[in-house]
Amino acid sequence: MDPECSRLLPALCAALADPRQPLADDTCLEKLLDWFKTVTEAESSLLLLQENPALVELLSHVLKSQDMSSRVLSFSLRLAGTFAAQEDCFLYLQQGELLLGLFGEGGPQCWAAWSVPTVRSGWIQGLRSLAQHPCALHFLADSGAVDTIFSLQGDPSLFVASAASQLLVHTLALSMQAGATGCSGLWDGVWPACAQKIMGHLEESLQSTAAPQVTQALNVLTSTFGRCHSPWTETLWGQLCPLVARLLERTPIPAAHSLVDLLLSVARSPALSSSHGRLWEAVAQALRCLSPMQAGSLALGMLKLPHCPQALRVQAFGVLLQPLACVVKATAQAPGPPGCSMWPPGWLDGAEGSSLTVDTLLSSKSACVGILCQTLAQLEELQPLPQRPAPWPQEPLLGAAVTILRLCHGSATSSSSGGGRLCATLAGCVRVQRAALDFLGTLSQETRSQELEKEVFAVLSEYLGSPDSSPTVLKKAFQTTLRWLLSSPRTPGCPDLGPQPLLFLRELFPVLQKRLCSPSWEVRDSVLEFLTQLSRHWGGQADFRRALLASEVPTLTQQLLQDPESYVRASAVAAAGQLSSRGLQAAPDSPEHPQAQQGLLGELLCILSTDSEGFPRRAVVQVFTEWLRDGHADVARDTEWFIATVLQVVSQDLDWEVRVQGLELAQVFLVQRLGQPRCPYMVALPEAASATPIPEVLQSLCRLRLFDFAFRALLDCDRPVAQKACELLLFLKDKTAMCGGLQEAGDIPGSASGQVTLQRWRAGEQGQLPGDLQPEAMLALLRSTDLEGLQARLAQSSDHMEKSPQSLLQDMLATVGVLGENEADCY
Amino acid sequence: MLDCGMHMGFNDDRRFPDFSYITQNGRLTDFLDCVIISHFHLDHCGALPYFSEMVGYDGPIYMTHPTQAICPILLEDYRKIAVDKKGEANFFTSQMIKDCMKKVVAVHLHQTVQVDDELEIKAYYAGHVLGAAMFQIKVGSESVVYTGDYNMTPDRHLGAAWIDRCRPNLLITESTYATTIRDSKRCRERDFLKKVHETVERGGKVLIPVFALGRAQELCILLETFWERMNLKVPIYFSTGLTEKANHYYKLFITWTNQKIRKTFVQRNMFEFKHIKAFDRAFADNPGPMVVFATPGMLHAGQSLQIFRKWAGNEKNMVIMPGYCVQGTVGHKILSGQRKLEMEGRQVLEVKMQVEYMSFSAHADAKGIMQLVGQAEPENVLLVHGEAKKMEFLRQKIEQEFRVSCYMPANGETVTLPTSPNIPVGISLGLLKREMAQGLLPETKKPRLLHGTLIMKDSNLRLVSSEQALKELGLAEHQLRFTCRVHLQDTRKEQETALRVYSHLKSTLKDHCVQHLPDGSVTVESILIQAAAHSEDPGTKVLLVSWTYQDEELGSFLTALLKKGLPQAPS
Repeated sequence: MDPECSRLLPALCAALADPRQPLADDTCLEKLLDWFKTVTEAESSLLLLQENPALVELLSHVLKSQDMSSRVLSFSLRLAGTFAAQEDCFLYLQQGELLLGLFGEGGPQCWAAWSVPTVRSGWIQGLRSLAQHPCALHFLADSGAVDTIFSLQGDPSLFVASAASQLLVHTLALSMQAGATGCSGLWDGVWPACAQKIMGHLEESLQSTAAPQVTQALNVLTSTFGRCHSPWTETLWGQLCPLVARLLERTPIPAAHSLVDLLLSVARSPALSSSHGRLWEAVAQALRCLSPMQAGSLALGMLKLPHCPQALRVQAFGVLLQPLACVVKATAQAPGPPGCSMWPPGWLDGAEGSSLTVDTLLSSKSACVGILCQTLAQLEELQPLPQRPAPWPQEPLLGAAVTILRLCHGSATSSSSGGGRLCATLAGCVRVQRAALDFLGTLSQETRSQELEKEVFAVLSEYLGSPDSSPTVLKKAFQTTLRWLLSSPRTPGCPDLGPQPLLFLRELFPVLQKRLCSPSWEVRDSVLEFLTQLSRHWGGQADFRRALLASEVPTLTQQLLQDPESYVRASAVAAAGQLSSRGLQAAPDSPEHPQAQQGLLGELLCILSTDSEGFPRRAVVQVFTEWLRDGHADVARDTEWFIATVLQVVSQDLDWEVRVQGLELAQVFLVQRLGQPRCPYMVALPEAASATPIPEVLQSLCRLRLFDFAFRALLDCDRPVAQKACELLLFLKDKTAMCGGLQEAGDIPGSASGQVTLQRWRAGEQGQLPGDLQPEAMLALLRSTDLEGLQARLAQSSDHMEKSPQSLLQDMLATVGVLGENEADCY
Repeated sequence: MLDCGMHMGFNDDRRFPDFSYITQNGRLTDFLDCVIISHFHLDHCGALPYFSEMVGYDGPIYMTHPTQAICPILLEDYRKIAVDKKGEANFFTSQMIKDCMKKVVAVHLHQTVQVDDELEIKAYYAGHVLGAAMFQIKVGSESVVYTGDYNMTPDRHLGAAWIDRCRPNLLITESTYATTIRDSKRCRERDFLKKVHETVERGGKVLIPVFALGRAQELCILLETFWERMNLKVPIYFSTGLTEKANHYYKLFITWTNQKIRKTFVQRNMFEFKHIKAFDRAFADNPGPMVVFATPGMLHAGQSLQIFRKWAGNEKNMVIMPGYCVQGTVGHKILSGQRKLEMEGRQVLEVKMQVEYMSFSAHADAKGIMQLVGQAEPENVLLVHGEAKKMEFLRQKIEQEFRVSCYMPANGETVTLPTSPNIPVGISLGLLKREMAQGLLPETKKPRLLHGTLIMKDSNLRLVSSEQALKELGLAEHQLRFTCRVHLQDTRKEQETALRVYSHLKSTLKDHCVQHLPDGSVTVESILIQAAAHSEDPGTKVLLVSWTYQDEELGSFLTALLKKGLPQAPS
């Protein structure tokens, strides 16, 4: 431990032990514990206690004093546990009877403070920390702690109850580990006493008629099988499996959710390979008798397993498909419409005999919505997995997703009574719409028939064009559309779009045009984001270009650069920048848009220097960087002027992210002029990459005042700016290392004044580098600055001092006595 | 889920709520119908982008229009500080904040919003900060009111919280100032102005570290009016570009501010400051006095810290901390009296400038909380957002004064409340008409007993006549009769005994229809009495009494009457 901390500890412990001293901040004790954990991980706890007797005094004081604050009491319990995690320290603390006093039967449980959840939580966490060695196990068994843990499983505090369950899992594992005998360390089949006790408790709980008790036992077992993969877990399952199976025979099934979790946890355990037979039976039974919601979760979990038996996979997939099969069946017009005939034989019929029927699905609106959303999300999760069922029923699923979307939108009609009820239930349901659109998007990754693709684009058109679509649904519709468009199959060797996307595009742009004028900023923004993505991928497509240019979308995009909402302005900047790089900008002579005259570059520069919000300004610099990378015509015309102008504006920006991006732009420029940064592992190649001779580049950097910008940024009060500037200058330093650097910094004209300016900046003053600095002076300045040292300093988080233990101890001590004045007052 | 805040005191996972307590394996969206955000302070909304964009909640989020507009400013401000200071990678991005805000459904005050078929919510004005709202959440006839943070006394730019007498089953109220009866706000304001004024008079500089929005605006109004009144010329600066947007929103949502501001709005917009100008980094070195509002509010990074470092060494200067600072920040250190601060690179900064703490937070005090409980008339109260000791005091006070149960659960603790929900039942027209036909006109204030059959079908409850119920459910009618034997000492023949019974009942039950039937049996309404001889004792007659369920009361009365025996026959 740091000597300074050691010096502060006694005073702090005294303050903690004094109930009249309230603590400043509820985070302090947490941070203090964090620190002690780090210290005890690195050094001996015993030594720590011996060198800092104040710590043991604090713990003893807690035992004696009944008027401690519950927070300090809880802290002390956790602290004692942290120390006792090391066996020698455990024995040391036990000698003084401290541990028995703190964790034994006569301990805090008998104190009034036990009614405070923090104290109970501290007690459990303390035990959890100390339970690391055989001595601790004996202690747990002898002190009666295990019985208390049992009772705390039902604690009214969620945190205490959960921690108690976790502690039981840990104790069981530790006990079994300690019971392992012989040099092989294998378990010899005899359950240690502590483990037997826990087993007995679990068996009793599983047979209880009280659902909370069953839930607790199931949760403990779920964690156990999830975490421990030793051979004894197999015996454990063998013993408890019949009890678990018996739960499935009860009506209603208790703690169904936890039961599903347990079955999945057991199924996933690598240690249970030979006991799987009974497990599969239990799972098959559970799939049959659980409610559709719970059976769905179990089914998905089973299908994700790499080693699930085929019959069970078929059963599970059937369960997962049931809700969609019900929808298709309910909406099917006799006789057998295309939607119905696509389903693999047996699935629609299977749905009829299963626990979920159209009637149960429609029994209540919220249940119907819940199950459909869950099913769609589960199938979405399953679709990309390699172990998903094969063959994957792509067409029926697509049909079902489209049907659901139509039902929600009110565009599907059904003469059957079930279909009519479904229409009424789902009409306008945003939750289902969003889930179905997400699922539809996932299905775009598969092959599809032309006919179905047409259906999909038709339903997407409905959603994009409908005035009823909510902004969140619209956003999903745009995302799904993008996925379908980008994955649309193309004729090999032909750059053109397929017939369906082409037809769709013609309808799309008028819709986008309308949506760009939406009163809701969310909608305008989603359209612009969509447009940017689409042009990025399809900007070179002739059909796309024709359709886009025939619409007013480019003009509207440019108009949105003046949108009142800054998010929209930023998206408009990105979209306009993208369109412009693809040569798709609005016609410049548009009379109703005078700003078009000055060109997009001018307009973006204007936004960069005048917009009151950070987002649009950041978007502008990003577009500029992209333009510079791609050699955009407006930039290439006079790159130096462009760089100088942008950097000048950016250097004045109040938003540090704009300044960082300005440095990024400068770096792209430097790489273009000087070549890629050297990789230390690369075979040295002649410096042919740099197209321009270095002295010439340096001249231009001086002209552009790039040095000025970078050096100023180096001392920026915002750390990321300084870091980026440091990176940039190091790159420059590296590139110019071989370039005429024999002169010392002081010998070069201008360099001395540069140094002075730098120092003044460092002191926080204003000023400028001499305007006429020559490249030599710049180079000298570059070499004389300890950039590597600065980089190392900046790499440390700026709050490393703030986070230091000394700072914490000082803060806690400083608060003693002054707290009354500045009462905690959050906002 | 009510609010989705963060703890600014931690830099690791602990700063956000542990959402795995909602579900470990399932999707959060399946477990929550919606999220409601009461106002834009980070302890109420700071974890929202993390929750919706990183943890995976994909359902609706409700907040008021001003909160939706201002929330992203604060989230963005916080993100920038977090990333700036720690270079954190695993933190939500600007894009995530935007995507999160796109999921928001904005609500108006007093507008009833139907979240789904069962759940509806309604916002009420809460004062505190611009756009802050209390929410009433209703499912069927049961309801909860969640206050968020609120203020029962108007301040310079906001009005007082108000709620109607909605009588919720539960009122969840903040209790920051559970024991305090706040000193007059005017005093604090005067104090603040005096300190600022004195400092600038003697040529010092005043630094006020603030967060971009909220208290900053109130302090700006305060200084602006004071400068105007005193005709002061010392410059006041606001150091961040964010103010412009903040002020824009204060102008935009003028209806959410208090009456005074709304009234004067026509002549002059309070938020168009004459004396407060944008700050440039170069100004900090200018000689002479000035007042600067700078972000962030805890002096833990960025511009406020930079200015503080420049000015800290001069005892003429002053820093006024208008809010809470978390441990570890420079703000926290100077507030706890530390005067030598270790900065980066082992540099020591000596703080000679004056340090003042001035709380302006707008929470209801104990009186205000009691006032709200009185307004809403809840059945139960639950205290949150406060310190246990203070809450305990308030809890007792509420229970004494309002005679309602008051709870103060710790974090993670479950409270179970018994409620008696009203279940609406439809009454068939036929049944009502029959009731009317009986000539009893309904009275609005007097409850009336109505007999019928309750049918539960498709989650609906209906009260119909029993005939209709039988018809609807396709059931046959069964009659249930109760029977009883009464033994009488009577040597006469059965017919005579029956006649005696008839005469006795006729004279006793004058209001009832008593009949002697040709077969010798006697009826009173539906009650049938037959006399029979005793099989063993000829001196005893057995009266067989039977009655229907509907006449149970009369049946019991009759059997009791007959058991007393018949009056002696006149000789």
